[in-house]
Amino acid sequence: MNLKPSSALLPFLLAASLAAQVAPGKTERTPISAAIPEDPAIQSVITPLAAEIKATFDLPLVPAPKGLFRGRRGEENLLGYWVADMMRQSAQGVVGSPVRFAITNAGGLRANLRPGQLKVADIFELMPFENELVVVELTGAEVIQVVKEGLVRRGGEPCSGVKVVVEGTPEQATFAVTWADGSPIDPAATVKVATSDYLYGGGDSIPTLKKGRKPFTTGITLRQMLLDQCAALAKAKQDLLPPDPGRYTVPAPIQEAIRNKTFKL
Amino acid sequence: MERRDFLASLGAAATLATGASGLPLRASDAPQPAAAPVSGRITLLHTNDTHSRIEPFGPGNGAISGLGGVARRATLVKQLRQQLGSVLLLDAGDTFQGTPYFNRYKGRLDYQLMRMVGYDAGTLGNHDFDNGVGPLVEAMESMEQLQHANPPFAFVNCNFDCKGAPALAKRIRPYLVREFPGLRVGITGVGVAFANLVAPKNHEGITWKDPFESLRPVVRRLREVEKVDLVVVLSHLGYNLNGTAPDDLQMPGQVAGIDAIIGGHSHTFLDTPTRVKQAQGETLVFQVGFGGVNLGRMDFAVARGAVKAASGASMPVLASA
Repeated sequence: MNLKPSSALLPFLLAASLAAQVAPGKTERTPISAAIPEDPAIQSVITPLAAEIKATFDLPLVPAPKGLFRGRRGEENLLGYWVADMMRQSAQGVVGSPVRFAITNAGGLRANLRPGQLKVADIFELMPFENELVVVELTGAEVIQVVKEGLVRRGGEPCSGVKVVVEGTPEQATFAVTWADGSPIDPAATVKVATSDYLYGGGDSIPTLKKGRKPFTTGITLRQMLLDQCAALAKAKQDLLPPDPGRYTVPAPIQEAIRNKTFKL
Repeated sequence: MERRDFLASLGAAATLATGASGLPLRASDAPQPAAAPVSGRITLLHTNDTHSRIEPFGPGNGAISGLGGVARRATLVKQLRQQLGSVLLLDAGDTFQGTPYFNRYKGRLDYQLMRMVGYDAGTLGNHDFDNGVGPLVEAMESMEQLQHANPPFAFVNCNFDCKGAPALAKRIRPYLVREFPGLRVGITGVGVAFANLVAPKNHEGITWKDPFESLRPVVRRLREVEKVDLVVVLSHLGYNLNGTAPDDLQMPGQVAGIDAIIGGHSHTFLDTPTRVKQAQGETLVFQVGFGGVNLGRMDFAVARGAVKAASGASMPVLASA
């Protein structure tokens, strides 16, 4: 179907007839609050399915003999490292090309994974939010800046793909970021970066992440990503083990200055 | 058959019949009683980006805690239909992805519930392709096969070329026309570009086309051939993309003849529609957040009669190419 107007007047006439005919009336948006009762017929469909969903919470996922912990003061956040590793790995699978760096926020990890058999509910407790995995492009220089911003704010947000070494004193610190294998980061190179829609949208004050270009919203929630990864490990008859420490090396006095909000880079 | 139905069907048939001569007999060429203006009212109810939020948001979700839920939405829709009569329930896409309901039921539950609630039409958002075309079609199929008093709802989109995905193509129509006492409503839809949003394997066989270029002939056809009184676009483009891509705020300036744009994708919470002035008249652009937290409502009163007959009589003839 390809209709062409035979007159240049058509758009004008359309607009004119529109104005003559249509009068917008009442407009509003109504919050769907608890003041509105549930439709019994619809609710009777939902109730048994909700029970089914809740039953899945007790399903076993994968053994985690050592557990994964966010770490106490001065310790590295190995649970966060695992989440960041999974983000980088999943993002790579979705975009089909290397994703060099991933960063998430420690504040978004709401529970430790205690040693033993993990259940679906444990992942829901760890990650109750619907945050989505997002892939953006940053320059190497921006990756370094993102790491710095996370460091100054929280002593280092969980990340994957890089190694961070801070040396010196709170008054005179030096700061080195390399790729995980120790190779230098080319500040001018463009790299793919995995993060959450929450951080990319400006959450938790890592402003440079917002500069991310060509955002790819994967449609995968971080929670679903973790559930899938646990299921894959179980299928391969492997345990879930914490990643090695050593991504952030920060002297204790500097860690303390970060907590006291007196540290600047 | 009522007179307006007869005239409308005549208009469409006559246009088709003339073809090469390019001189169709138009409905408005027939003598109309000048003193008998016909008028109607319609209420558009709408949601967008419901994202598998079957149940209300739990606590700890800030301002939207405790809001939403399909069963409550159904109650409100039922009440408004009883009160108002002429109602269309519409959705602007991204029904899928967001809760374990989607992970478990792959969108089938979402579409089935939409039919039970009484949706008339919806369009597709990027997340509706999250599991790929096959599972999307299966979800549509399961909705069609449901035993329920409500008819299956329609999917409208005019800027996806689905030639390479026939099972989806036959389930998506470029537009839908619904007749109400005193007016005809045309509904079409547009979707956001797949690039950077939908992985290529998940939209295999479907090509995205410019939404504004795709809309122009469809809106024109709705006005000129289908003789609708109100044109509604279900848009999953986003409210305001600051000039980086086609969006809902640009649409009225790019496509003449749209009365209402029901938007999605950007999860924008608007309290009232944005009124975009046209050369003459205006287009209402609305969007009500996400997750089924709100139900949007736009009422329109349509008056037919002397004005339309006068302008209609001098309207240009359409030539089919």
